[in-house]
Amino acid sequence: MTSTDRPAQNRHSTRTEIIEARPIQLDGFVEEWPEVGMIAMESPYDPEPSIRVEDGVIVEMDGRERSDFDFLDQFIADHAIDISAAEEAMALDAQEIAARIVDPRVPRQDILHLTRGLTPAKLLDVVESMNVVEIMMAMQKMRARRTPANQAHSTSARDNPVQVAADAAEAALRGFAELETTLGVVRYAPLVAIALQVGGQTGRGGVITQCALEEATELELGMRGITAYAETISVYGTESVFVDGDDTPWSKAFLASAYASRGIKMRFTSGTGAEVQMGNAEGKSMLYLEIRCIQVAKGAGVQGLQNGSISCIGVPGAVPSGIRAVAAENLVASMLDLECASGNDQSFSHSPMRRTARTMPQLLPGTDFVVSGYSGVPNADNMFAGSNWDPEDYDDWNTIQRDLKVDGGLRHVAEKEVLAVRGKAIRALQAVFAGLDLPPITDEEVDAGIYAHGSEELPERDVLEDLKAAKGVMDRGITGLDLVAALEKGGFRDVAENLLHVLRQRVSGDLLQTSAILDGDFSVRSAINDANDYAGPGTGYRPSGERWEEMKRLRHVLSASNPEQEVE
Amino acid sequence: MTQTGDRHLDPAVDYPLSSRRPDLLHTPTGKHIEDLTLDAVVAGDLSPLDLRIAPDTLLMQAEIADGAGRWQLAENFRRAAEMTEIPDERVLAMYNALRPNASSGQELADLADELEREYSAGRTAALVREAADVYGRRNLLAAADD
Repeated sequence: MTSTDRPAQNRHSTRTEIIEARPIQLDGFVEEWPEVGMIAMESPYDPEPSIRVEDGVIVEMDGRERSDFDFLDQFIADHAIDISAAEEAMALDAQEIAARIVDPRVPRQDILHLTRGLTPAKLLDVVESMNVVEIMMAMQKMRARRTPANQAHSTSARDNPVQVAADAAEAALRGFAELETTLGVVRYAPLVAIALQVGGQTGRGGVITQCALEEATELELGMRGITAYAETISVYGTESVFVDGDDTPWSKAFLASAYASRGIKMRFTSGTGAEVQMGNAEGKSMLYLEIRCIQVAKGAGVQGLQNGSISCIGVPGAVPSGIRAVAAENLVASMLDLECASGNDQSFSHSPMRRTARTMPQLLPGTDFVVSGYSGVPNADNMFAGSNWDPEDYDDWNTIQRDLKVDGGLRHVAEKEVLAVRGKAIRALQAVFAGLDLPPITDEEVDAGIYAHGSEELPERDVLEDLKAAKGVMDRGITGLDLVAALEKGGFRDVAENLLHVLRQRVSGDLLQTSAILDGDFSVRSAINDANDYAGPGTGYRPSGERWEEMKRLRHVLSASNPEQEVE
Repeated sequence: MTQTGDRHLDPAVDYPLSSRRPDLLHTPTGKHIEDLTLDAVVAGDLSPLDLRIAPDTLLMQAEIADGAGRWQLAENFRRAAEMTEIPDERVLAMYNALRPNASSGQELADLADELEREYSAGRTAALVREAADVYGRRNLLAAADD
């Protein structure tokens, strides 16, 4: 460029104007600021790995003496790290460990023998040496369960149980293994949790459900058998933020055992960015702090973790290498042999391309739950503040699965089947409400609920009566067994059987093992009887047989024998 | 209650217990898992207590977790086995007592004693005593109110 064609001030090219109008410009980006922890990974302020063991006790970890340990350090040193493995593992170069993790010929079990002896700073060094493709290679091998699965959100802006039941049934039919709800008005929880359970078991027997609430209330619904598992048991990576959350690693470990004592599956939740968002990252990187959370989960003996930034995704999403850090945190959970429900569950970008790219590190290698969860309701009805994936994207998801032959857990279902199952779910809920003397569900609500996309298409319910009834559900001591009886009495014997099967699972405890889900025939599939056996090309989970045939189907596919016709 | 120590459960052979070893599965009320049928629900023969996990079953799952190399998970199941006897409301109250700044050192010591004395919950008591020690060092105990 010469001095004569210097652009005029305030004049933009047409191209710049077009680019400026793109959705990506609505996303927020900031520079790194490592001093306050506004950095995803590779911070100059993260500690150097070290370990010193005396008389079977870790007396120094990552440069800190035991007398200076905060409560996370102490919990990790005493409960998460296997001292018998530490010396050998810590002596290895981080890059060498990373190479073995990425190498498909080194078995997963051999890697677990190393990772169980690593400190947080060492685990950080290991994953920092990987690029995003290596992280995916590693995830493909380290995921605990062989078969990937998916989880859906089923919520309602009006906490309308009719909508929740219908959308839960549709989500279950479409293939989700777990369904999660939460509330706008918390007092609605019992009715919405009942709707989720009834809808889920109508869509596909064996789906397991949860209702995200404050810890103690969530446990109570679980104890009663109204929900089948729990997930929103949050842990944090600095002591001050953990205390702000009104918990400690010991209170959470107690809670983990409390759930198991009732036969209820449970996982913890954490994610990069939580500490800096809550104002106390102690100048450490998001990924370093998240690795501490993962090790707290490991030490507490909980079978799994939901991570991948979760509700804080805007924070790592705003800084360089943030989405790589999120993929790395999922990997560390899997490297520590935990079930990983890998996020992708909060809207973080206005750009459809970026939303899709953000999910590839989980969808391509497969995780225990690729999305946790995928919104089964339109954004306005998503009470988790919106997911990265919406019902409008169902066919996009199915097509990506088909294009790349990767299993994201979903399938295309013909509309008539969807409508049938939505109708049945609402009528089953109608019967349960009648049987338990809860405010009636009208036939008008059934009809609207079958065809609705969102809550605004449903007749409004009498909220005060519903809330009174919801309180009554708790006061009267209604349990899952009452739901079974009401379903049977109302003529929904098959749904009653499905729910009873799920409730019976807690007597066996099989769902408590790592990465457990229930199949269509109620058989348990976990990291024990469906352990990941990936060992390179041609091995591990690959869509095949009936499942691959199912994945080939889409809404509009032309027949090979008659190109004028679409395949049913 | 039978002890599980001599069962030698093999994760590869005996899991899932519900399909591979239903013979081992009973509710705390003494019912066999095969008795938990819809007809029994309809007849009013089942109570919520019949859908609880027995401590023995949790010890079996602990053995399976250990066999799969997951010792922390096994330890969690062993604490859980101890906690099956504690009523729901008391479990929730104990959890709340373990929150930061919720209990004095003495209150946590008393809680640990109660766990041992009332429920023979030695492992859970040890977890509470460990918490009391750390909370003391990190200034997370409530001031004693006496």
